[in-house]
Amino acid sequence: MNLKEFILVALEGVRNNKLRSFLTTLGIVIGIAAVIAVIAIGQGGQAMIISELEAFGSNIFQIYPDYKEGEYTNPRDFTKEDITIIKKLSPEVKYLAPMKFTRGEIRSAVGKKNARIIATTADYEQIRNVEILRGRFFNAEDDAVGRRVIVLDEELANEIFGSENPVGQRVMIEGRDPALVIGVIKKRESQLPGMQPDRRAYIPISFLEGGNQWQYVHVLIGSAAGKDVVYKAMERTKLILERRHNAPGHYASYSMEQEMEAVNKVTGIMRLIISCIAGISLLVGGIGVMNIMLVSVTERTREIGIRMALGAKRKDILMQFLIEAVVLCSIGGITGILLGYGGAMIVSHFLKLPPLVSWWTALGAFLFSAVIGVFFGIYPANKASKLDPIVALRRE
Amino acid sequence: MIEVNNLRKVYNTGAAAVEALKGITLSIKQGEFVAIMGPSGSGKSTLMNVLGLLDTPTAGSYRLDNEEVSGLSKDRLAVLRNKKLGFVFQAFNLIPGLTAVKNVELPMLYAGLKPDERRRKAVAALERVGLGERLNHRPNELSGGQNQRVAIARAIVNNPAVIMADEPTGALDTRTGEEIMAIFQQLHREGATIVLVTHEPEIARHAQRILRFKDGLLISDETVENPISVAGKEVVG
Repeated sequence: MNLKEFILVALEGVRNNKLRSFLTTLGIVIGIAAVIAVIAIGQGGQAMIISELEAFGSNIFQIYPDYKEGEYTNPRDFTKEDITIIKKLSPEVKYLAPMKFTRGEIRSAVGKKNARIIATTADYEQIRNVEILRGRFFNAEDDAVGRRVIVLDEELANEIFGSENPVGQRVMIEGRDPALVIGVIKKRESQLPGMQPDRRAYIPISFLEGGNQWQYVHVLIGSAAGKDVVYKAMERTKLILERRHNAPGHYASYSMEQEMEAVNKVTGIMRLIISCIAGISLLVGGIGVMNIMLVSVTERTREIGIRMALGAKRKDILMQFLIEAVVLCSIGGITGILLGYGGAMIVSHFLKLPPLVSWWTALGAFLFSAVIGVFFGIYPANKASKLDPIVALRRE
Repeated sequence: MIEVNNLRKVYNTGAAAVEALKGITLSIKQGEFVAIMGPSGSGKSTLMNVLGLLDTPTAGSYRLDNEEVSGLSKDRLAVLRNKKLGFVFQAFNLIPGLTAVKNVELPMLYAGLKPDERRRKAVAALERVGLGERLNHRPNELSGGQNQRVAIARAIVNNPAVIMADEPTGALDTRTGEEIMAIFQQLHREGATIVLVTHEPEIARHAQRILRFKDGLLISDETVENPISVAGKEVVG
């Protein structure tokens, strides 16, 4: 007998005992389904977070002042000269821009809206990979002369200008000078539920500060020359700032790489916990399979006797029951994979996450269930193969 | 075909050893139709098991088809059962989940024949016992007599040297039993060697020769002058 015939015989056995086969595989089905569902949701969520982080801009890092308790805030933590010198001294830092946040109402002839105003420099466009819809972003010349210009995101532009083209029009910024709209940029949508960014407007920091003496810049945002030098760029920037401001330990840093590492770490822990639970449930499922296979061997003792009388060798009987266990577990595994994926699709439909099961996860789950079949089927199969044909034939 | 010399079988049941066969010597030639008779406990079932290679003798020699078979390994015995013997049991011993044709295919499955050849031979064997119309019925969809005919088809499909029939009519009514005996007689006429175990004298008298057992010993070996003939019945295909 070859493997194909053993499988056919095993399938006959499964078909002849439908209810029992179903109950036998149930443990495996539930175990595998749970694993697949959680992996699908987990990987989907992880992929989404990573794509979100990558959309933020690649090789990005941020430097911010790290105030200890009782320290007075220093308005001159970041200066224009800092940025010039850092860019000159460290080739790893490709772009570097200050960010100062404020809020205010922006009013046009048509409408008005409260928005978050980000004061920065031309480098910001490259760092954040800004997508221009109309006009342009501000440039180095705008920065140098503190030109009164403003860039709006599309949502804000639509709300205060309606169908009119905002570029070339004037807006009033609450409590400040009027500004000329020079561009509209694409608003970056977040895929994460409940994380829609607010309306934003961008102005040159030299316009906000009325010159080059910046105060209270919240953060420096930069992008490194390459993925592998992000850490170096960040550390060099911090070091230069510490020396120039004579303030060791005053600056803290943050990078997307760190963020991704954190995400990976969390999902890694999650996966470990799930694996443990899955392992336990599959162990229980496997014991169930062994239990039912033992019952099956007892119940089919006479069949075993008949097969032996007709010329089945020890190996034939062993293989028949072993392969039956493997087939049962594999059917359970496949059912579990489909069920788990279905469950993940339903859950992710409500959470609005894309479910994701890589083919190797599915293959792994399938192979694992087959291995459970071998592991828990070998003992009953061996027991069956050792039966004495006369005793087996006499059994009612 | 079968040569048995001073065959002994001792069962060790805990403290007491039971001697089921106390030195049996007999020979059965090719083409013979032999009935083995005796009350329960006479050793006839034990002899049947030993002759059927399901059990191994404690002592003595057993030559089947000119090959010494005592002392062979279990797997070797399985191969010999498959190639040289065909079994018909009182309780039919068909596998309930399998159709008639699948049941008949079983010995060829273990002989390693290809699926289409198995199928062809199984269909031919079922046609020989008059069940060509019932190929895909399961045992529970067939009558007792039909089930026994499936079992006979299964016994003859590998062209065995000897057909071993253990009380083949025991679970059947008289008329159906007669039909089954007709098939055996037909097979015998076609040259098959048949060993039939029965406790019914009427059934035994279908054979050519009767061996009687008592207390583990062969007590008589007689030739049947006029075997009951049920030949010519329509059941034989």
